[in-house]
Amino acid sequence: MDIQTDQRNNCRVIAIKGSADASASAALRQALLGAIEAGDTRIVCDLGQTDFICSDALGVLIVAYLKAQKRGGFVRLAAPQERLREVLETTRLDHLFQVYPDVACAARCA
Amino acid sequence: MPENLPQNDRDDGWVERVLPTELQAIRESEGDILRRLDELCYDEDQRFAVRLAFEEALLNAMKHGNKMNPDLSVSLAYRVTDEAVEIHITDQGRGFNPNGVPDPTADENLQRPCGRGVMLMYSYMDEVTYAEGGKQVRMVKYRKR
Repeated sequence: MDIQTDQRNNCRVIAIKGSADASASAALRQALLGAIEAGDTRIVCDLGQTDFICSDALGVLIVAYLKAQKRGGFVRLAAPQERLREVLETTRLDHLFQVYPDVACAARCA
Repeated sequence: MPENLPQNDRDDGWVERVLPTELQAIRESEGDILRRLDELCYDEDQRFAVRLAFEEALLNAMKHGNKMNPDLSVSLAYRVTDEAVEIHITDQGRGFNPNGVPDPTADENLQRPCGRGVMLMYSYMDEVTYAEGGKQVRMVKYRKR
């Protein structure tokens, strides 16, 4: 898994490229929580190139979501592929996270 | 950490492994089962489903069963055939009641960072059964044609 960060419309965009599996959760946690600790509380997770996600990684997203929210910010999800969208629906996490069709939309609606 | 853990590929197609309790071992064994699925041309949806359930079951065995104790191991057995994928995973923990896991899709549980593994296994596999007081799980995914 590779994590790339960018800035867009006053949002930190964190692109998760590859598989967000158990082995990658620590790196994902560091990237997301590190950004929030550094003051980036408006975060868009770009899932456009995320081909897999496990419950551990979902847990990291939730922890980041709660931490950002506590600081007046947010964690939004953007562009999940079909199978990831199904995981979000199966877990009903699409009722927790705001999920956008693309990064531009997620960053624009801020 | 256990050394020289036994590995066995049987003539009847069953693959048996003993994994150390470390997350990297999940990725390595996952790679092998996915290769076997690819060799038999399982479709992408089924590949994803097996991968997810496999990962969740091993993660549960290591994190919740063995409490990430490096002195404990996880027994893994699987077979990939043209008809189905069958996976058995056994940890060395104290066991648990899979029926006692709170529903992670309930509104009051959505913000919990953990507790989704068992539900995902049930959702993505065709059969999931527990034995040995919750220390062993058997999962089956039948091939769709």
